[in-house]
Amino acid sequence: MKSSTTTLSKGQRVKDILNTLGIWTILLLLFLFLAVTTGDTFLRSTNLINLVRQICVNGVIAIGATFVVCGGEIDLASGKMAALAGCGSAMLIVDYGMNTWLAILIALLVGVVFGGISGVVVTLLKVPAFIATLGMMYVLDGLVLLMTRGTPITGLPDEYVAIGRGYAGPIPIPVIILLVLVLLSAFVFRYTQFGRNIVTVGENAVSSRLSGINVAAIKIAVFAVGGAMSAAAGVMLTGRLSSGQPTAADDLSLTGMAAVFVGGTSSTNTQGAALKTLAGALFIGMINNGMNLLEINAYWQKIVLGIIIILAIAMDVYRTEKAARQA
Amino acid sequence: MGQMQTENILCLRGVSKSFPGVKALDNVDFDVRRGEVLALAGENGAGKSTLMKILSGSYRRDSGTIEFDGRQVEIQSPRDAEALGLSIIYQELNILQGLSVAENIFLGRQPKRNGCVDWKKMYSDAEALFRQLNIQMNVHRRVLGMSLAQQQMIEIARAVSTDVKLVIMDEPTSSLTAQETELLFDIIRQLRSRGVSVIFITHRLDEIFTIADRITVLRDGCSVGTRNVAGTTKAELISMMIGREMTKQFPPRSAAIGQELLRAEHISDGKKVRDVSFSVAAGEVLGFYGLVGAGRTETMRMVFGADRRTAGKVFLHGREVRIRSPRDSVRHRIAFVTENRKEEGLLLNKPVRFNIVMVALNKILQHRLLSRRREREVSEQYVQELNIATPSINKPVMFLSGGNQQKVVVAKWLLSDSEVIILDEPTRGIDVGAKREIYEIINQLAAAGKAILVISSDMEEILGISDRIVVMHEGTVAGVVGKADFSQQLISEYAIGGAKL
Repeated sequence: MKSSTTTLSKGQRVKDILNTLGIWTILLLLFLFLAVTTGDTFLRSTNLINLVRQICVNGVIAIGATFVVCGGEIDLASGKMAALAGCGSAMLIVDYGMNTWLAILIALLVGVVFGGISGVVVTLLKVPAFIATLGMMYVLDGLVLLMTRGTPITGLPDEYVAIGRGYAGPIPIPVIILLVLVLLSAFVFRYTQFGRNIVTVGENAVSSRLSGINVAAIKIAVFAVGGAMSAAAGVMLTGRLSSGQPTAADDLSLTGMAAVFVGGTSSTNTQGAALKTLAGALFIGMINNGMNLLEINAYWQKIVLGIIIILAIAMDVYRTEKAARQA
Repeated sequence: MGQMQTENILCLRGVSKSFPGVKALDNVDFDVRRGEVLALAGENGAGKSTLMKILSGSYRRDSGTIEFDGRQVEIQSPRDAEALGLSIIYQELNILQGLSVAENIFLGRQPKRNGCVDWKKMYSDAEALFRQLNIQMNVHRRVLGMSLAQQQMIEIARAVSTDVKLVIMDEPTSSLTAQETELLFDIIRQLRSRGVSVIFITHRLDEIFTIADRITVLRDGCSVGTRNVAGTTKAELISMMIGREMTKQFPPRSAAIGQELLRAEHISDGKKVRDVSFSVAAGEVLGFYGLVGAGRTETMRMVFGADRRTAGKVFLHGREVRIRSPRDSVRHRIAFVTENRKEEGLLLNKPVRFNIVMVALNKILQHRLLSRRREREVSEQYVQELNIATPSINKPVMFLSGGNQQKVVVAKWLLSDSEVIILDEPTRGIDVGAKREIYEIINQLAAAGKAILVISSDMEEILGISDRIVVMHEGTVAGVVGKADFSQQLISEYAIGGAKL
């Protein structure tokens, strides 16, 4: 029997691997560049640990966004979801004396519920996700401000704070959380029916429906997962700041999606999505960290990040079109 | 008028157009006189649309000349056509729903005053225009929510307002009610009385006899002839429209038809499909023929649960089954290979193996998780069985040819153990060699005891592969023809609604 896979040329295979590794290669180059240009400050272990700690909150929210993007949708409300979960859980503990773990569990469930509501609005009411989640963003923002009256919630117990800034031996706890979620997500995408159906629905909802897949259920679930991940990120952020800050998570929806897109994931390009998002988050963290070390004005960092996002997508579009032309 | 007036507004001489593998128009001569209604008739694929697209500037002809209003012309774009005074009204109307009637009519050429749109003049001009045409119309109203007939009238009014000399209407009555059709005919008669010529594309015989002065028939890209409608009989017209030899080869098969597998009764959607019933047995290939728009795809989508039906029942193995979504169909092992495989069947950016297992993910589960090994095995198996030409099961399907993409769609339904397989135009856009492979696959499936429903608008194909043929006409079953009675004549007559003569 002649196996049809053997006809793949070696050059093509190398290209395929590079393609999959795309963001990781760039990440490595950036790492080497910073190692050389900053003297030894970049490579110092305190700096590297700091860098990794800084990306955890964004990384977790980005993993949630990865589910949504792979499912062919977008969620602008994830940052406010994080704020609601962080402040809400903090209030339950500080103001109502609730058990820390129970409060966090409730926060995660609230994330599932509000994410699920976005999903229902998108699938059953057929409101485009951009608009539905824009609305949800304002609703959640209002809820947070109503609850907290706009003031931070302080006085969190140690075990809560540890989620954001604690260590297990030499490894920061948020890093462990991030890695566990990344690996879990990678596993879901690769080995479960749910994960496979997400990327199927995300690429072509019509084909999926006509193939007997429950498109609405998958999309709602994707938003719910995104909501839960956002809530987790909010709890981590609250722990890191030792207080529930109503506006601390404002940027997170966008920086989370930036990590997804810089990583190279889109609804049509879903291979290795979870790991690519981790790389995207690391890349953004490294850019910020490197520019700090190189003493570049912080405002420039935003401009550079913006350009990188545009370039990342432009490259993706270019690659797809080139591939389509060859077809 | 001092100018020399030719008798014909439009003369085509020796116009040809080829596409890869198809001669769509072959040396066509075609005349339209001033102030006449000329019906252009022919079966699916006869070349009517190609001819129209050449006149509108969407296609370039390969050879031949076009003379319009006494001058040789080159029509390169729809804009050129409009500038000449040639207006085309497509089946897909070209109306902006959010704008008012008057805005649609004067789109892109609004009356101006001091550089601004002169709204008052625009509305009064639009009102005058409709009054002239004897059409009741509120020109201030937004188009959204208006009936298709009303929208069509807006398009006609727009054409008239541009000092049009020739209007081409592509099957304008296909979605109109009888009353609306009458109204349209009144307007066409008005145009004629003002000296405007009309080309009326249709395949409805009754309409030809009602409205047309002359008729030109196209068949297989050739002009068969032009007749005066007065003095021509329906029977003559039908024999002009059909009657060609079978040229393609179909793989032979010996049908072993078993028990009834699927039966549909009284399927209706309240609009395009009315009271359609049929049944298909294990091992049988049931063909569905009809003109484009006869309601075949709509019927199948309802049977499959892709669209909601207002009435009708589906029986499997004699028992009624509830099918309200494609999920129900998949559970009952009904498969649907859709007409647009790229939009409705495939995940173009995903590898072949993803596409093959997308319906039956449960087939590759091991310990409730997806097994890469099982996925590879079943994918390789179908790649071999169906002879899918792909360098690898990891290749995204967008890199495959049309025929191989179609085989991937078939593979996903075979993996899910479908018993009833609906194929909608399964060989559209596929080259000749791959077509034969698809026919062979259909034969093998039937031989394996599956019930096959094939929609096709290709007469030879439907005759070549079916055991029985259901012919649909305007949303109803016009006739069911058994293999012993297969003839192009009979089937065409059913399809064009002429079998009642």
